[in-house]
Amino acid sequence: MYRQKYIFLLPGLLVLVAIILFPLLFTIRVSFSSWDVYNPGLNWIGGENYARLWEDARYWEALTRLSVLTVGTVLLQYTLGFALALLVWRDIAARRFFRVLFLVPMMTTPVVMSVIWRTIFHESLGPLNPILDAIGIGAQPWLSQAGHAFAAVMIVEVWQWTPFMFLLLLAGLLSLPNEPFLAARIDGAGPIRTFLSVTFPMMGAISVGAILIRLIEASKLMETVYVLTSGGPGTSTETTSYYIYIRGMRDFQIGYSASLSLTYLIVMSVALTLIAKALIRLMVKDRT
Amino acid sequence: MAEIILENLAHAYAPGAPYALKPLHMTWRNGGTYALLGPSGCGKSTMLNIISGLLRPSEGRVLFDGQDVTALDTGKRNVAQVFQVPVIYKSMTVGENLGFPLVCRGASPQKIKARVETVAERLGLTQWLKRPANALTADMKQLVSLGRGLVREDVAAILLDEPLTVIDPQLKFDLRRILKEINEEFRVTMVLVTHDQTEALTFAEEIVVMNHGEVVQMGSPTELFERPATEHVGWFIGSPAMNFLPALREADRIVVPGTGLSVPVTGPLPQGELKIGFRPEHATLAPTGGHIEGRVARIWFEGSDEVIGIDRGAHRVKVRASGTSPARTGEPVTVSVPGDRLSVFVNGKRLSSG
Repeated sequence: MYRQKYIFLLPGLLVLVAIILFPLLFTIRVSFSSWDVYNPGLNWIGGENYARLWEDARYWEALTRLSVLTVGTVLLQYTLGFALALLVWRDIAARRFFRVLFLVPMMTTPVVMSVIWRTIFHESLGPLNPILDAIGIGAQPWLSQAGHAFAAVMIVEVWQWTPFMFLLLLAGLLSLPNEPFLAARIDGAGPIRTFLSVTFPMMGAISVGAILIRLIEASKLMETVYVLTSGGPGTSTETTSYYIYIRGMRDFQIGYSASLSLTYLIVMSVALTLIAKALIRLMVKDRT
Repeated sequence: MAEIILENLAHAYAPGAPYALKPLHMTWRNGGTYALLGPSGCGKSTMLNIISGLLRPSEGRVLFDGQDVTALDTGKRNVAQVFQVPVIYKSMTVGENLGFPLVCRGASPQKIKARVETVAERLGLTQWLKRPANALTADMKQLVSLGRGLVREDVAAILLDEPLTVIDPQLKFDLRRILKEINEEFRVTMVLVTHDQTEALTFAEEIVVMNHGEVVQMGSPTELFERPATEHVGWFIGSPAMNFLPALREADRIVVPGTGLSVPVTGPLPQGELKIGFRPEHATLAPTGGHIEGRVARIWFEGSDEVIGIDRGAHRVKVRASGTSPARTGEPVTVSVPGDRLSVFVNGKRLSSG
């Protein structure tokens, strides 16, 4: 009966196979080969790539750096986004204007914005250093020193993606019922206590959602690094995806970069799952 | 615990806008139970929010025990409010919820613990104290909301904003009983906002009937039932509603033409439409010899009583009779009403002498 129903499933299934299943399986197969620019082809070298990866300090450094960058930027984005959302949540003058204004960075193209930021950070031509000079902080070697370059990448990421947090958290705030706030006023709670006991707990679920979406996105961080610092100075701002890009697309070590990608996928899936569980336990209180 | 005086109070949501609450003056006794009764949008919640301080009245003053609290912030007024939707702080346990108002007021941990235990004991929540408040059922959450009010010993009044609407019918009954007991035990002024007349009539000593932002009548359940100030009250209170029949003045009597209903009047009457009203409970059926003749159109039950709808021309008269009456649908019947049970309404307002 109704055997034709499978025909209707076919297009979706084909797309799934073509863009997810086949590339994944093919990558697994390639990661066990020594496919590179000299010897293209699917030979079998066993776990050699994985043994090499285990010893590859640059890869693990990039992964650690990415973790710090991801967690750091997402926490900053969350804090800033929440603060901005709280600011325009209640009745303030021109709140519609501010709500739109705060979203502008998100609507711009990341690569274009990175180019603009590279100009801003430029040590002799950019506008930032003269301003810092003028207010007495002094010019900073933004893109030529490891710590500063790392900070620069973080600033751009936070600038670009705080609006996303702001948007989700504002939507969350606007959907909250009014009664708990009235009750807190009647019970005599001040603004800080109201935030800690009423607003924040009620925002738990949406906060976890917003943080996870941003963590997943941020763990793929690549274009900002590519445009702003090209991983430099040295490898001090190199993230995992950028390193895989160098190995695969610049050095054409296809087999090796396949093993890097797979390891990256597995590490990220496990880490994000664990983080998600921890966040839910920590922040979502309305499970009965 | 306090006596609440609403002094020349009125409220409009914007300057120049029509009154959401028309000017009124009212005194609420310390420890009394009051109900604000009226259809949706009649201004009862506005009035409640003015008392709790969530809303600042555009005119007049609110006095608690003679002290002007109009400009005082909600938290400083020491009122408690229970909302239609049960409000609990979901990140806290039941105990922490109950203690929250005291924590906000900086009470000592020992005092908080003692008060929370007393209140929990009274409300039967002791076994739940350590449980997350979010795991409770709706009616227990309402008890927690109520408990947050009781935990403050000096609470001036407990305001209840349709707190029984989302509660299951059987539990509603229990909760109403608990509210009454608490009122008697703690002698705390309680104000219930409701659109359910049964709820108002069973809970309150005094009922404030509101309509279109105006206080139509304030009085005990018996007063509202026996002597409704307006046609609206007669219609709104009682089930089924009061009967109204168009009337005329004939010399020194007001009569309903074609019936034996008549009320003596002396002196001049205000100009306007005349009606005679009576309660279905006060009318009785007789096969012949009653005041009104008609035909039984419909019979239905309300509790153990029977309500008989009788058509007389364009008007339907309802009679409430206990038990089963001999009336049959379609048969002619007569209705008699004692003369002292008749009220005269001019332009919708009750004539005090009638």
